[in-house]
Amino acid sequence: MRTNTTSRIRDLEIIAARIRRNVLEICRQRGGYAAQGVALADIAACLYFDEMRPNGNGWFHDRFVLSNGHDAIMTYGALAERGSYTMDELKTYNADGTRIDQSPIEGQLGFEITAGSLGQGPSQAAGIAWAERKRGSDKRIYCLFSDGELQEGNVWEAAMFAGHQKLSNLVYIIDNNDMQASGHASDVLGVEPVPEKFEAFGFAARRINGTSTREILDAFEEARNTTDKPYAMVCDTRLFDGIDCLQEALPMAHYVSRTGADWDAGIAEITARIDFLKEAFG
Amino acid sequence: MNDEMATYGTRDPAMLLIGERTFDPAPFDAISFDLCSRRKDVVIMSADLSTYCQVNRVKAELPEQHLDVGMAEQNLISVAAGIAKAGLVPVATTFACYATRRAYDQMMICMGTGPNTSIVVGFTPGIANPARIHHQAAEDLGMVRAIPNATVIDPMDPTDFRQALDVAVDLPGLVYLRGHRGDTPRILDPERFSFELGRTYTLREGTGIGIVATGHGTQWALEASDLLTARGLSHSLLHVPTIKPVNEAEIAEFAYAHDQIVTVENHQIVTGLGSLVTEIVSDIGGGPRITRLGLPNTWAPGGTLPYIRAELGLDGEGLANRIEGLST
Repeated sequence: MRTNTTSRIRDLEIIAARIRRNVLEICRQRGGYAAQGVALADIAACLYFDEMRPNGNGWFHDRFVLSNGHDAIMTYGALAERGSYTMDELKTYNADGTRIDQSPIEGQLGFEITAGSLGQGPSQAAGIAWAERKRGSDKRIYCLFSDGELQEGNVWEAAMFAGHQKLSNLVYIIDNNDMQASGHASDVLGVEPVPEKFEAFGFAARRINGTSTREILDAFEEARNTTDKPYAMVCDTRLFDGIDCLQEALPMAHYVSRTGADWDAGIAEITARIDFLKEAFG
Repeated sequence: MNDEMATYGTRDPAMLLIGERTFDPAPFDAISFDLCSRRKDVVIMSADLSTYCQVNRVKAELPEQHLDVGMAEQNLISVAAGIAKAGLVPVATTFACYATRRAYDQMMICMGTGPNTSIVVGFTPGIANPARIHHQAAEDLGMVRAIPNATVIDPMDPTDFRQALDVAVDLPGLVYLRGHRGDTPRILDPERFSFELGRTYTLREGTGIGIVATGHGTQWALEASDLLTARGLSHSLLHVPTIKPVNEAEIAEFAYAHDQIVTVENHQIVTGLGSLVTEIVSDIGGGPRITRLGLPNTWAPGGTLPYIRAELGLDGEGLANRIEGLST
């Protein structure tokens, strides 16, 4: 059992803030899914810098499946902090001819599946979890998807399968941001109550604040200690969580164009936050 | 017509055919069991149709190599893709209509964009299902061959079905095979026939009319071939089990060696074998006339396969008459 020490949480919060800044630096070049990348930074920090175990070979023993391809910006921001990508290369995001796809194809570093067709990650992650367990592996499988994807039937087929198979090595991380392409999910097609739905499908489930490092770590720990069923972390977030000026200006920003945000203001705010965290806990 | 050939009749040049036909009541039952016995990394997957795809022995005797995801074809294909990404070899089985129509996006995106072996076997393809329209996938070959780098195989009998699956488990990416179930005629001699990906097989050799067929269509074309031989009409028959990657050179060589080409397939006459042969010949130009036989732009009727075939002119007699009519 790991202890949620103050220093561990502080370190992850600094990493999360740096991920947020990376996301803005990347998206300001040609636009992108900045609001999601910023909001998911705490989950990314906990996942890539704490929860997933290293394989001793520069990568991870555990496996992460990104289902909503456009949230790749979160992974890019985090992998830049790991040094897996350079920021110079990541700044070609959304450029013609780049390999830094906004929604990547299977095989690119950090991306286990081709994830642009939404709702297909949970079942592929469940297949990976089933096969890893069958092979006797202790790998844990983490799959991030969005509340909007809960409107896809394939997600519930996957949940029914994972619950039936008692895939306790599987963790679903649901970005419950109440925002999809055409507006609030609660207006388009309501998906709540999300934890209760997964519980009904045989999961252990918990609703958390998706920007609380402590709550994220606690949920991951609870998932690890759940040995007889899969786990659903329902992470309440809002677009641009963690950068107040952009959240206030762009509360509905599913996609932000190059000129669609005051990038300088956002970067200034998050830079000040990084400096504050360093000083406060330094 | 070449007199010598006409006298000699149409022959099986490679002696690939069994002399006496028998029927295999459940080809995939043995094929899947033997494969799983040999390859412990293979998982036969079902979507509530294990009995109807004849996955009985694996389910009963090798249950650790069988996985049923319930009546959920999108999940069948995408869970299978996940299993492949974890290093096992999934063989997802369901009816062709469900694999392609209900889970085409999962086939293309989850299986078709990665390197891991991911096999889908579509049973009761084309008109080989008594329930009309919704159970009759007569466009599956065209759908799957449109996926870049996919492999598409339409075997004609238990022998090439077995051998093709044995090859498929070592191929990269998405492999789609059409399956055979129920009484399936044993036509190819397993002692002489050897499936090679992309290879075509000349089953009858003559002059004038060249018949190109695949899958059930090859079975039907052989019936017509017997009648045409009895009527003294020289012709050839080429079996093309591999729809993709197709052997363009062998098909072109066959096509240009004949005065007319007839394609026979258990499929719509658009997007499948007929279209494929037409594309190949058209790319070269100046080729023979090509007549495509299969399901025209219509829904097939339901019922027994002999009835459906007769209604569509795809029974042996109907095919023979249509082919003979082309030569006059």
